[in-house]
Formats: sequence, structure tokens, C-alpha cells
Amino acid sequence: MMKKTICLLVIISLVFPLGGCWSRKELSDLAIVLAAGLDSTPEGNILLTVELARPSALGGSQGGQQIGGGGQQNNVWVISQEGETVMDATRYLEGKVSRHIYWGHTVILVLGEQLAKEGIRKAINFFSRAPHSRETIWVIVARGQARDILNSHSLLENTSAQAAGRMIGAGVGVPVMLKDLSMMLANKGVNPVLPRMELTPSGTPQGPVMYENIPEAQNAQQPSTKIHAEITLTGTAVFDDERLVGWLDYHQTRGLLWLKDKITVGEITVPSPSEPDKKISIDITRGSTRVEPFYDGQNIWFDVQMNLDGALLEQQSTEELTDEPIFTAIENSTARAIEANARSVIELAKYDYGVDVFGFGQAFHRKYKEAWPALKDEWNEAFISADINLKVEAHIRRTGLTTNRLSK
Amino acid sequence: MAAFFNKFRRPRRLNTPVQKPVNSSGGQNSQRQSGPGHTSQSRTLSSDIEDNLRSLKEIFNQCNDIIFREFLFAQREHIKLALIYIDGLTDKSQVSDQIMRTLSLEVPTATDKAAITKENAWHYIKMRGLCVHQLQESQKLEDVINAILSGDSILLVDGHATALIVGSRGWAARSIEESKTETVVRGPRESFVETLRTNTSMLRRKIKNPNLKIEALQLGEVTKTDIAVIYIKGIASDGLVQEVKNRLSKIKIDAVLESGYIEELIRDHPFSVFPTLSHTDRPDRVAANLLEGRVAIMVDGTPMVLVAPYLFIEAIQTPEDYYEQSFFMSGVRMLRIISMVIALTLPSLYIAIVSFHHEMLPTPLLLSIAAQREAVPFPVFVEALLMELAFEIIREAGIRLPRDVGQAVSIVAALIIGQAAVQAGLVAGATIIVVALTAMASFTVYYSGSFTFRLLRFPLMFLAASFGLFGIVGGVIAMVVHMASLRSFGVPYLAPLGPVITEDLKDSAVRAPWWAMRKRPHLIGQNNPQREAPGMQPRPPQPKNK
Amino acid sequence: MLEGGKISSGQAVFLNITMIIATAMLAVPAIAAVHARQDAWLSMLLATLLALPIAWVTASLGTLFPGKTLVEYTEDILGKWPGKLLGLLYLLWFIHICSIMIREYGNFLIDVFMPETPLIVINILGAALAAYTVKNGLEVLARVNQIFLPIILISVILIFLLALPEMKLERFLPVFEAETVKIFKGAIVPWGWMGEIITFAMLIPFLAQPGQTRHTAVITIPLVGLFFTLLAVASVAVFGPVFSNMNFPVLNAARVINIANFIDRPEPIIMAIWIIGGLLKISIFYYVSVLGFAQWLNLKDYRPLVLPVGVILIALSIAVAENMLELTHFLGNVSPYELLTFELVIPLTLLLIALVRRQGGNRQ
Repeated sequence: MMKKTICLLVIISLVFPLGGCWSRKELSDLAIVLAAGLDSTPEGNILLTVELARPSALGGSQGGQQIGGGGQQNNVWVISQEGETVMDATRYLEGKVSRHIYWGHTVILVLGEQLAKEGIRKAINFFSRAPHSRETIWVIVARGQARDILNSHSLLENTSAQAAGRMIGAGVGVPVMLKDLSMMLANKGVNPVLPRMELTPSGTPQGPVMYENIPEAQNAQQPSTKIHAEITLTGTAVFDDERLVGWLDYHQTRGLLWLKDKITVGEITVPSPSEPDKKISIDITRGSTRVEPFYDGQNIWFDVQMNLDGALLEQQSTEELTDEPIFTAIENSTARAIEANARSVIELAKYDYGVDVFGFGQAFHRKYKEAWPALKDEWNEAFISADINLKVEAHIRRTGLTTNRLSK
Repeated sequence: MAAFFNKFRRPRRLNTPVQKPVNSSGGQNSQRQSGPGHTSQSRTLSSDIEDNLRSLKEIFNQCNDIIFREFLFAQREHIKLALIYIDGLTDKSQVSDQIMRTLSLEVPTATDKAAITKENAWHYIKMRGLCVHQLQESQKLEDVINAILSGDSILLVDGHATALIVGSRGWAARSIEESKTETVVRGPRESFVETLRTNTSMLRRKIKNPNLKIEALQLGEVTKTDIAVIYIKGIASDGLVQEVKNRLSKIKIDAVLESGYIEELIRDHPFSVFPTLSHTDRPDRVAANLLEGRVAIMVDGTPMVLVAPYLFIEAIQTPEDYYEQSFFMSGVRMLRIISMVIALTLPSLYIAIVSFHHEMLPTPLLLSIAAQREAVPFPVFVEALLMELAFEIIREAGIRLPRDVGQAVSIVAALIIGQAAVQAGLVAGATIIVVALTAMASFTVYYSGSFTFRLLRFPLMFLAASFGLFGIVGGVIAMVVHMASLRSFGVPYLAPLGPVITEDLKDSAVRAPWWAMRKRPHLIGQNNPQREAPGMQPRPPQPKNK
Repeated sequence: MLEGGKISSGQAVFLNITMIIATAMLAVPAIAAVHARQDAWLSMLLATLLALPIAWVTASLGTLFPGKTLVEYTEDILGKWPGKLLGLLYLLWFIHICSIMIREYGNFLIDVFMPETPLIVINILGAALAAYTVKNGLEVLARVNQIFLPIILISVILIFLLALPEMKLERFLPVFEAETVKIFKGAIVPWGWMGEIITFAMLIPFLAQPGQTRHTAVITIPLVGLFFTLLAVASVAVFGPVFSNMNFPVLNAARVINIANFIDRPEPIIMAIWIIGGLLKISIFYYVSVLGFAQWLNLKDYRPLVLPVGVILIALSIAVAENMLELTHFLGNVSPYELLTFELVIPLTLLLIALVRRQGGNRQ
């Protein structure tokens, strides 16, 4: 008995080193992908661009070397590869990258404009199905090629991917995770929207020479132009099911957020009631929206109620805010500004693009579940002919640290 | 194959038949067979003192320290006395003052003097002649030898075949000091010493009750070590006491130098890494254990006292838990549980996460660790293993070091591990932190209890390197299943967590205040479950008006 | 009696709970949602109600034949040879379930976490651990279960709480969109899984307080039902009805947890805890199979059977399905019929026959 047990233990303990611990991957065997970009090529293939982290430049242990000069630039390595599908491109990429490509820490997924116009379903399935990647990746659309967007670096964060991820997560644009995108694509009551990002000039780098990567600078013959370009959120992409049909700019994105009940941060600028050429800015503390659908068998109309709690934080004019009519007037003009913005976005969605991106269809489905199956396949047409009544209530609760201006 | 197996069964040291344990207070047992060291059959003394002296001198031939002091009783020429003792084991002043002086110089009054004859001299001495604190008698040579070797003095009276065993023990012993391995901040500081009688006296001071029974026996053929089995009658269950005595009686070994010998010979599961008997050198701990219904085994010559039974939950209990306030000590206990878990699994978790489950780390941390790992040539597993081994070496060396060299060596060790290894690029900083934290965590459990975790760390590291977190889980499950199958003297090892005994949970991860601890541990103290009257929660009188 | 150990009724309830939920945690919410979509939680409630009779039948049979396990009293009810045949069928059924479970868990581990490791290695290790547990006897199994089950349950509650930020109540709307038929269809598989309480019939003789049998069996079902409903609720709230396409929806729910960017993607820890649950369930069914075989063959001790049955389990676990899709198809479409036959139809018939023939002591 004793002998048998010992033999068994010896055999078992030999099994472990034999197999070589199949799934073990050292950290130094991994190429950590921070951001992925997908573009479509003229031949119909997919161009995959990955932003790989270079840990030796990032961590800064005692063993790492100090890189003088353009230290920021060496944090990541951006590389592209074409393939028939995303996985196909990954296989070819493995010939270029010395380590195993690891998707577990990907922060953002950038879809190129051309690819978005052709349809995004074919591109995103890999990221939902593969066990390593997360469903919480932020998905964005690039204006132009995704590859160019990734080829940038951030002055504030370690890598541009992290910068973009944090910005979207803060709610400045429409925050869309991969799981949200899947849900929006699956649901007939709403069409997807994705934030739009592009490289814009963003300040002048201080300090030693940095090699910039704005397209103009790359072609120029002189050395660095001393202008820094960073990924910037500039608007929203509007989709009809899976195809890109249009853009909303930064201002219109606010309206979109209002209608989707996703407003978290922001501000509204209105002209002052008594001095119309001076402006007053109100910070949005809390905003909420309620959508109520109505259907009488023939016509559909929606009542949208938007509520704003704001704080008046900047006043260019000098009027007395403690004066009640003035204060009410400011509140009213704020409400009107929001309404006008929302109205313009709705018009845009209805008549220019012809899609319901706000989720009115979902609201309709929730209330009228019997009528929904008949309408759901032509919901966009139904949406275009529906009336939408907007009602905004704006309350300015606070005025910051001072009531009236300290100086006159 | 059976022969191979049987080699592990029977101890190979002795081929003498069974010996019953001897009561050292004089002994009523018969049929003592001979063993190594004894050349004579059991003999009784003769009435002739010269005979006795001769046989004793023969037995103690070449023992330089034995003293044969012959003198006369009360200056009578014809009443010869002989005092035999071992120099070094006896209290010399007692021998000279109480025995010799009273017998030779302090002469009885004239009338008594006349009445003393050779015939009644022995009787007179026994009843009136000596002023000593302990006096026994025996006719057997065996008892005489035993008594001499225990430090008593033997008084032989010519013409009488019974020897008087005079208590005169006293030798140089370590004084009562603070326990070196189990320290507390609040609570008694004394610890047991190597002398059995001193230890039992310390226990008696804590439990002033005649039900505290101290039963003596001798184990070890050659060493004849005194053992005491201690329990509180009426609290400890009779079955448990009987079982302990049974197991002790089966021990046939030539020497019992430390309680560890006994522990290995009577334990329930000889091949398990988990101990089922605890040992301690603190009297307050032993006293508390006795009061719960356990049995203590004390061995002369070592301060470590065994206590049976022992449950797994006791690894996180220290005496201080019961002295300080229950709220704070409950927090400290939970901290100890966390430390235990850390000591067991932290290196494995580190290996598993860094090798298998990279997605669990937040991205900045991952990149930072990845940067460190770029510089290191080994895989995490090898690195962690090397550092753990290095630390074990340092720990062992720290125990064996001569005191004087300690300072210098510890500085060098710190330098080697801390600075050089990291800067030379041999180990990553994160690994050092992991190893150091593990080491510190393993010290929160008293030294002897920590062996199990220190040992089990290594198989878990192997498992973690092979299968990641699931290897660790598998290892932990195997450990728990093994522990659940152990019993310590009949009590399930994992009680009160294994079979959940709700009323005992008040003393497991938390320590309920004393007014809530009304019952003894269920499975051990079932003989006498109530230890406290109900309604002990302090209710100070409220002032009538505020 | 082949097993000398005794378990308390608390331990028995714990064993029953583990017996049922450990594998259901992985896949059942998705299977129910295929039919009922966002009303999956209603299916779970319905399944709870439907499973109560099974528990009642189990307890009744157990009290009619005190001291005998299922394998033993089938002989009493049906006569020697038909009874032995039915006993054998039941034993084969236990082994079948056990091997499916080993396969399910092995697949889960390999798919999600360690794609390079061969399936058979994981299965062998799992079966070996279970064999060690079974060899130590019922009492040890009950104790280990008592220690680990609370941890497993707490981890589920933790997932639920930590994923709260991602949950939206409106994903439940519209309620009752699915027709009753669909809700019923969605309830069948959970019903089948909950009916595994029939396995308790093999453990009833070892209760320290046999009078508590009915109490124990009946208490388990609402607890288990609550648990299933909670899982379904969590899945719907985080994902909406699309999760019917996910293989392991609760895993995905655990993956969206992100607290302060520190506890991010904690699913290996949570899944590791669930592996323990799976292992315990495998041990229970393994034990029941081994014990049953020993009783069927009239052996004195079940220990020699542990290794052979283990080998059979491992081999069967590989053979039972070619790939993941086949397994899911089997679980969703075929297994309900098999389960319900063995759990409801046959025991009910046995009970009726026993009552008609006025058998057994302790009639209530």
C-alpha cells in the first residue's frame, strides 16, 4: 500500500514538468495590445493595426535604461497587417511580432471610416467571441483611417490608448462599450452610434525635441514642427444598422446625449437676458430624460421630458442674479437652448439620415409590446413619421461661490 | 512486500517484552523484567548494611558522583547508618543539616537514648529521628536505585532490610523565564522549565483544585524519564484520559528526551503533515486547555508540554486573545487568518496571476510588473522558488547562529536579497515583496504551528506554475479534504468548521466576550459543558436622572 | 451498512444544494433564456414550483423504506430481477450525469482560461480529486461541503452586488412578453436540473435524524430556486435578452465588474471558487454511484470500486460529446427528457406501487 502510494505520487509529480505547463505564459512572452484599429482595404480585406505596449520603456524599474529625448515616443509600437479576417491578420502579425499577441488589456477598438461605411458586423465578431478580449472595450470610429489615429502618443497619459479610453469613459461623448454595441445592433428599436475621434493639433510640446507625427509634419522636410497632435473626441458617428451614414458634431452630440438619457457632464451657454452680446454658462450637474411613447393604432407620437439641474458658473454680463425675473429668464433660455439643440438633432436624424438612434423604438417596444412585432422591421420609417414633443425644465440650483458678481 | 511494510510498523529498538509503567512513589508493581542497563534480577535489600553497600557499590561502579556516607546514629557505636546520594542531584545543605546533623549530633534526651536499640533504631529514625519533608521506604533494590538517580538520598540502617528514601532533591536548574517562542504583550510571562516538579507547581498555582489530577509514569527504558499525565477530573472525559494512558503505556523506546518523541509515538495520523497534538511552554495556555477538558502530558527535561486533542482552529488562537478586549482581538484574529492564508498562498497566487491570469491585473500595474520582468532572465516560478528557498535558508541560519555573529550576518543577508539581487537583475522587485510579505505572515502563527504552512507552500507553488489559479484551488481542496478526514483523539480535526457546531463558532474567527462564552467546546468538554453561569453580561446600573 | 458515517440535517441540506446548483451556475440561465428571453427569471420561479413534488416524492420514498437507499428499495418494490434492472439503470444514469458534469467543467476551464491544456488532463485531475474525497467517506464529504458552500454562495452574491453598476432595470421590460408556453419551455431545463434532488434518495439512510427527511428535502428546493432566479435576474439585468447566445452568461457578467479600476476582470477568482462547487458536485455523484454499485453487487465495502468507476467516468467524459455545440444541444434539448424520466416519472410510479402494495414501515 505504502509502495503503491509512493509510486503514484512520483508518477503524478512527473506529469507536471513533462507537459511543460501548457497554458503558462510569462509576462515577457506577451505582446500586450493596448489598442486595435480596423480598416478596410480596397481588395475587401481587413487591415489590422495594433498598438503594442513596450514595458521596458514604461515601468521604469532600476534595470531599465533611461531614454533621453523623445522618451514618450518609445512607449508603444504601432504595427499594421492585412488579412482576410481579423484572426487571419493576427496570424500574419505573429510573423512580425516576436511575442504572443495578447488581447486581454485592449482598451479601445477603432473602426476606420471606410470600414464603418461598409458595415461593421464583419469586423467585430472576433472581439466578442474570443475569450481573451473583453466586452468592455470602448469602440470608436475614426475619421479617416484608424491606423493614423493609433499612430499618436499622449502627453498626459502613458499611451494614447489609455488617454482615449479615459476620455470616452468620462462621458464627454457617447460612451459605447463592445457589449453595448452588440446590444444596439441586436435590437431593432435603436441604431448604433459611436464616438468619433481624430487627430487634432493639441498644444505645443515643452522640453526636448519630440518627433511629431501629424501627417503634414511627416512629409515636411524640416525637423519637428513643434506641434503636438493627440486623439481628440470631435463628435459622433451615426449608423443605420451596421453602416455609417453620417456625423454629428460636438454640439449635436450633446443633444444626442440628452435624448438618450446619457448626459453626465457638460455645459450650456446662453446669451444673457439683459445684455445679449454677453454670455452666461451653466454647468450641468444632473440631467434626466423620460420618453413616453403614444400610439393610437395609426399615429405614433412621443413625449420627451428633459430635466436639468445646473449650476451657473460663469457670467460675462453684470446683471444681478438675485433679481428673480432675470434668474427665471436665464433658466428659460437654458431650457430653450437645450430644446433647440435636441430638436436640431432629431431633425438631422429623421430627415438627413433617416434612422432612429435615440432608442425611441425601445421605449415603444416596452410599452406596446403587441404592436411592436408589426412595426419593428420598418421602424425607421415609422420613426420618421412620428411626432416628437419636447419639453424641457431647467433649474439652476446653484451659482457657485458668489451670487452676484463681486465686481461691477 | 508485507515484510517491507512491517518494517515501518514495529519499532526496532527493543526486543524486550512489555513493561508496565512504574509509580515512582514507591511502587507496588511486581514482575519487573530486566532491560539494558540492569544486570541483576529484582532484588530486595538484606538486613546487613555491608551487603547492601556492597551491591550498591557494584551497581554504581565507575560512577564517580555517587557518595556513600557511613556514620553512626547518635554516636552509638553499634548502630551504623549509611547515606547514599548522588552529588549534584541533591541539595547538599539539606543532606548535611537535616539528615546528618539530626541523626548524628542531635541526640535524643537521656531517656530516649536508653530506649534506642539496634532493633528499634529504624523505627525510631523513621518516626522521630529525622526532620525532613518527605520520607518513603522500600525494600526493593530497583526502587532504591531509582530514588538515588532521581536525587533522593537513601538511608540504610544496619540490621534492617528496608531502606528509607529521604527527599532531598535539588540541582542547578534554569530559572523561570519568559517564553522565547510564544510571547504575549498582556498576560503572564512565565514559561515552563526543565524540572517536572516546578512545572506541575506552576500549574497547581493556576488551578487550585484537588480535581487537578497529576498521574505519574516513567517512559524510556534507559532514560527512565518521568512523565506526568495531567487532567481535571470531572471536566475531561474519562474516555479521553483512558485513551491517552493506553497509548502512553504502549510506548517501548529506550529514551524519551523530549515531548516530541512521545508525540510521534502516540499521534493519530503518523503520515499527515498536520499535527494532532499541540505543544506549548506556557502554563496559562496549558491551564486553559485543561479547563476545556483536554489532557496534558508533561515530560521531565523539557519545557514543552503536550496537550491532546488539538484542533486546526487552535493555530490561530493565542493566549493573548483571551486577555485583551474581545472586539480588538477578534479583529486581530481575522488578521491572523488572513496572514495564514497569505503565508500559504501568496507566492502561488503571484505565480498564477503573472503566468496565467494576466487580465486580472489593472493595466498600469500589469505594465509596471511587465517592465520589471523584462530585466529578469527567469520565469516567475523559478524566481519565486529561488527566493523562497533563500529565505528558508536565512531563517534556519538565524536560529542556528551564535548570538555574536548575528548582527553582521543579518545585514549581509538583507543586502544580498534586497539590493544586490534586484540590481543585478536576478530577481524582480515584486517578487521580493511577495516573499517578504509571506515570511512575515508566517510569523504571526507561533513557530511550531507554522511548519505546516511553510512546507505546503512549495507544492502549491508547483501546482500554481502548472495550472494557474485552478492548480491552487485543487491543492487547497486536497488539503481541506485531508484535514476533514483527520481526527485528533476522536475529535474531528476541523471542528467547529468541519462539522459545523454553531455554538463553538463564537471562538473561531472571532472571540466572543467572556460573558458570552458559557459553554465549553462541544466535542471536548461534553462531560461538563457549562463553564459560566448565564446572565454574566455586565449591566451597570443606570443613573435615574441625567 | 457500507457507510458508517452519519450526517446532520444541516449538512444534508448543504449537500443537496451543492448537488443541484454547482453546474447550473454555468449554463442554465442561457438555456432558459433561449425560449423565454427576458422573462427567464419567471421560468426559474415556475421550475421551482414544479420541482417541489419531486422533493416530496423523494422524501416519501425515503420514509417508507427507512435505512435503505434507492438502489435497495427498488428491489423491494418491484421484486428482485426487475428491481435490480431498475437499480442498474439508475446507477448508469448517475454515472452518465457525473461524466457530463466532468466534461462540462473541463470544457469550461479549457475554453475560457487555458486553451492549450488538453481536456483529458483536466478531467483526470478533477476525477482524481473527487476520488480522493469519495475514498474518505460521506462524513468527510459533508464536512468539506459545509466549509466551501457558504464561500461559493457568498461569491455569487458578490458578483451580483459588484455588477450592479452595469445593471439596468429596463432590460426586464416588457415583462410577460413571452407567452406562457415559452415560459414553460424555458422552465423545463431548470426543472430537470432541480429534480436532481432525487439523488438525495441515496443519502437518506445516513441522516442522523431520519425524522427530518421531508423537512430537509423540501427546504432545499426553495433555496435552490431562489438562487437560480437570482442568477437569471443578474444575467438579464446586465445584458438584456441577448445572453441566450452566450455560452456562460454568468461568466460574462463577472467580466464586466470594474471597481475603481482596481478590481478589474476578477473572473479567475470567482471561477476558481465555482470550480470547487463543481468538484463537490462531481464528488457527490461519484460517491452515490460507487455506493450504489457496492450495494447492487452486495459488497462489504465500496472503497475498491472507487478507482474503476473513476476510470469509467474519465473515459465517458471524453466520449459523451464531440464538441461544445453538441454538448449544449444535448443539455438543452435531450437531457430534460432523460432527467425528468428518472427524477419524476419513475419515482412517482415506484411510490404509487409501494403505496398500493402497502409496503414499508413509517407510513405517513
